[in-house]
Amino acid sequence: MTIEEEVSKTLAELGVTEAPAVEALFAEVRAAMDSERQELVSRGAASSTEREKTAKALRDRWLGRKNGLLAHIDEKWLKPSSRELKPIVGRKFNELRQTSAQLEMEALIRDVPVRAKVNSSDPGSKDASFASTGQALSTATGTVAVTTKDSVAVEVTTAAADLTLPGYRRRLGSIHPITRVQREIEDIFLGLGYSIETGPEVETAYYNFDALNIPATHPARDDMDSLYVDAETVLRTHTSPVQIRALRKHGAPLYILAPGRVYRRDNPDASHSPMFHQIEGLAVDADITFADLKGTLDFFCRKFFGEKVRTSFHPTYFPFTEPSGEVSISCFVCDGAGSDAVGRSCRTCKASGWIEVMGCGMIHPDVLGHGGVDPERYSGWAFGLGIDRFAMVKYDIHDIQLFFQSDMRFLEQF
Amino acid sequence: MKISLDWLKEFVAVTAGPKELKTDLTNLGLGVESLAGAPSRITGQGEAGLPTEANPSAQVSGDTVFEIEVTTNRPDCLSHLGVAREVATLYRLPLKRPRIELKESPALTNGAVSIEITDPDLCARYCGRVVRNVEVKPSPAWLVRRLEAVGLRPINNVADVTNYVLMDLGHPLHAFDLARLRASKIIVRRARPGERLRTLDGVDRLLASENLVIADAERAVALAGVMGGEDTEISASTRAVLLESAWFDPVSIRRTAKSQGLHTEASHRFERGADIEMAPLALDRAAQLIADIAGGEILGGILDVYPAPRVRPEIPLGAGEIVRILGYDVPAGEVERILGSLGFRMVSRAASPTGREGLSSSPSGGRPGAWIVTPPSFRLDVAREVDLIEEIARHFGFDRLPSRLRVATRRIGEENLPVQAGRREKESAVSNLLAGLGFYEIYTSSMVDPEENARFTNRPPVVLGNPLSQEASVLRSTSVPSMLHALGWNLDRGRTDLRLYEAGKIYVAKPASAGRRESATKPGGLPDERRVLTLGMSGARRDASVHEPERALDFYDLKGGLEALIEAFEASRLGFAAEGCAYFEPGFAAKFLLDGQPLAIFGRLASRLAREYKFSRDVWLAEVDYDRLLELPLRARSFRPFSKFPAVKRDFSLLVPMGTPYERVAEALAGARDEEVQSFRPVERLPEGKIFPDHYSLLLRVTFQSATRTLTSEEIAGAGRRLVEGLAPLGVRLRS
Repeated sequence: MTIEEEVSKTLAELGVTEAPAVEALFAEVRAAMDSERQELVSRGAASSTEREKTAKALRDRWLGRKNGLLAHIDEKWLKPSSRELKPIVGRKFNELRQTSAQLEMEALIRDVPVRAKVNSSDPGSKDASFASTGQALSTATGTVAVTTKDSVAVEVTTAAADLTLPGYRRRLGSIHPITRVQREIEDIFLGLGYSIETGPEVETAYYNFDALNIPATHPARDDMDSLYVDAETVLRTHTSPVQIRALRKHGAPLYILAPGRVYRRDNPDASHSPMFHQIEGLAVDADITFADLKGTLDFFCRKFFGEKVRTSFHPTYFPFTEPSGEVSISCFVCDGAGSDAVGRSCRTCKASGWIEVMGCGMIHPDVLGHGGVDPERYSGWAFGLGIDRFAMVKYDIHDIQLFFQSDMRFLEQF
Repeated sequence: MKISLDWLKEFVAVTAGPKELKTDLTNLGLGVESLAGAPSRITGQGEAGLPTEANPSAQVSGDTVFEIEVTTNRPDCLSHLGVAREVATLYRLPLKRPRIELKESPALTNGAVSIEITDPDLCARYCGRVVRNVEVKPSPAWLVRRLEAVGLRPINNVADVTNYVLMDLGHPLHAFDLARLRASKIIVRRARPGERLRTLDGVDRLLASENLVIADAERAVALAGVMGGEDTEISASTRAVLLESAWFDPVSIRRTAKSQGLHTEASHRFERGADIEMAPLALDRAAQLIADIAGGEILGGILDVYPAPRVRPEIPLGAGEIVRILGYDVPAGEVERILGSLGFRMVSRAASPTGREGLSSSPSGGRPGAWIVTPPSFRLDVAREVDLIEEIARHFGFDRLPSRLRVATRRIGEENLPVQAGRREKESAVSNLLAGLGFYEIYTSSMVDPEENARFTNRPPVVLGNPLSQEASVLRSTSVPSMLHALGWNLDRGRTDLRLYEAGKIYVAKPASAGRRESATKPGGLPDERRVLTLGMSGARRDASVHEPERALDFYDLKGGLEALIEAFEASRLGFAAEGCAYFEPGFAAKFLLDGQPLAIFGRLASRLAREYKFSRDVWLAEVDYDRLLELPLRARSFRPFSKFPAVKRDFSLLVPMGTPYERVAEALAGARDEEVQSFRPVERLPEGKIFPDHYSLLLRVTFQSATRTLTSEEIAGAGRRLVEGLAPLGVRLRS
């Protein structure tokens, strides 16, 4: 029996009722296909026209949509096959199609010396899917996956590669730790419904100092040694001026977060930088109390540093808040113990069990007033934290200069 | 401020151990920076057994010294008395005041010296006392030990007493050698133009009229509230001492200390605000101690010049306001205990029918929860109701106050600033995309070298008045040098795979004519702060591996990255120009334009600059106008149905005349395409050669697809033909 005769009969008609017989039958078909393909390949020296003709004939014979051998196999062997045989027939048929895809490629690669006619398979043919270039395959349901996998399979088998070699990777870049921490902080407060506001880095002395209850004569100005442009203009020493700007712009109620770059006239060393980054937070509403400050910052610290962290608040002084406080968290490394299980003192909290993380307070009535908000009607709380410092604590970085050196050995770790 | 526990115990019978006290002080806002045993020299013991923080009970001398960080608003805590008051309130203990018993001689101070204040705006009070027939010599051991415990160097018994009282009661004193005061006169006045004074530190100082001085009949003898003069200093030969205890204007002292570059224990306290009512007490205490340890005779009476005695404010305090600020109704008894113990005078206030703020106090009786509070003279920081509430909160304990989480009730992002809310999303999209493209984010300094800055831009930078160094003396008006340094830093360390980006700012000064001098409360002349996105690349696209040899980054790596970036936004009307600017290599630089304005400028760093910066490899740069990019909406994600019919690809081998860029070909193709031409792209370009002189060959891959049917070979051929015909005007033809 020729192949054509075989495929015109059903398996039952051929007397094939068991899996081994199915395999044998397919092996026979496969061998026929391989030999015809070999013949095509070995005919390499012939003229391109002739080769094209042969290739087309071979394609039509095997892959033709209505009368191709594969179509017959589908129609006669696969579709009417018994429930028991269907899985094995299906698998074998798919294997055959993969091989035929190779046939297709062999044919096409030798099509013409230039690539001008790549993929010139008949339009509309389901077989076009064998051409295996992604976009063309969208309609060829069922075949897509097989075909796509095909080309991979082809390459792997022909590469004879050592599969233990490292993979072929695209290098990913990274987002700077300060940006990462800033985003993380923003996300927590955005989730509480806060909005983001910004202000200029080159700021008037009025917004940076006076409106925040720090007149020129105030000793607190010494605490924030500023870089200035002229008598009335400074590089902002904190993000707090955004409090005033935002209050004036939007009025109350107001719930904002103001991230940004700030400057102090400090010589650079491991813990100082003349330029660093802060986030200011502020909530002004009709009934804001110290309890809101505590509750919100406690929530924030747990979200950022981990749920097991405890917060502690103690008084301090800022001219623009009253009462003013500092927030400490129990050390997330040693869990507040100050040392590890074998008694080595904890580096993160300097053995104290606590880490001071930010300043906060109830906004001073004068500051609300400078922001154009009636302090009798509204109250508010605010906080300020150093993003760089948060990043240092979170990632165990001990030199602030690393943030601004652009050293790949640093950047690659994030 | 160093506080000795032994010394503290003279004022309050504190029983808490050092560690406990440290924690409790911190919870009062008196942060303890360190805690150590007192110096052991006096006790004669050696180094062994020095106390450590972990084991503070092991003090050699039995004393513990707390280094307390006193905030600028609390000058009253710059003394043992002040800290003791806090401790006494905390532990509910009585505060012991030192007993002062003076033996005054019949001779009166008033006859021995005269005091005149000619500038009462700068000196509100000046008290003087004279102690005669003193014997100046080293201080006794107990005094030396006290001073050394708090970090002061002993000098002589008279000077040491003034320092002792300073640390004890917090009031700065000064001792003059009375014999050296010409005409035994004290005049408190502003310095005269050109007046000079040699201060105790041996520095000859030129004074300005803003400096307040203590003068005798002829000349300045002390820089008021800052430092005494050398000529009237207490010496071994001093027999009569004039003790000064005064109150100087904080702002004036601060100015003088700053302008003279002289920060002293005295100026530190005066500029924060000393206790004006403490002046005579401190004087008596010092006189008593001098008489005790240096002998001598205290003349009768204080010479007290106090032209306008201070009236302390009366501050209404209501329970309602306490609740409004703290969110907790602190019991009235607790309020009264705390404030009372801290030295505040409280009078109950009658309730007004309208509520908490009623000031119409009736004379008959008060009600709980409404007071008139008078702060003590040493609490200049307390001026408003909220200041009182802070005192209550401090001593009630922040950690004892309630806590509640509240979400925002108003989002300004949605209401007023639709763009703002999206901005952060856009920034995240950009950094995520760039990281995906293999770029590492960097942060560089805004402060740069003006000369280098000027080489890359004409935009005027913002010049700093007091820069840390010349190399950081302006705010940059270009981000390029910063990126070059970042690349150079890594190239110098052998990196060959650099892709960096910075989302930073440049700062462009407004020209002086643009009205820099607007009202300080109105931002007018502030510099223009612009956001720029800077990309820098150098080295290999990918390092060599078994899979692929190393290949250097090129122009199209950069261009492709920028295309991906810009395509993340809705950027229609995007143009392209094959021209860069001065610091790019000609022929390797280009721009993307949006509405005709540059959105991005990019290319290879000019080789002359690459040589100057000693770059071992080509450097590729891009500057993106980030403000403009962020103004664009992010590319909307909405699904467009795709064709159900098969797509067919055909390649066309074209010959294009030299000098016709692909852009022109693409434009012509776009104009000539049938609707079945779904897309086209160049897949190979061969330069002109022998076979096709004056032409280059371009292999174009075209995808044909119909939305409504399966295309026939004839239809495809037709569409392909029309496409090629559309190129004919450019002189483009099919390669046969």
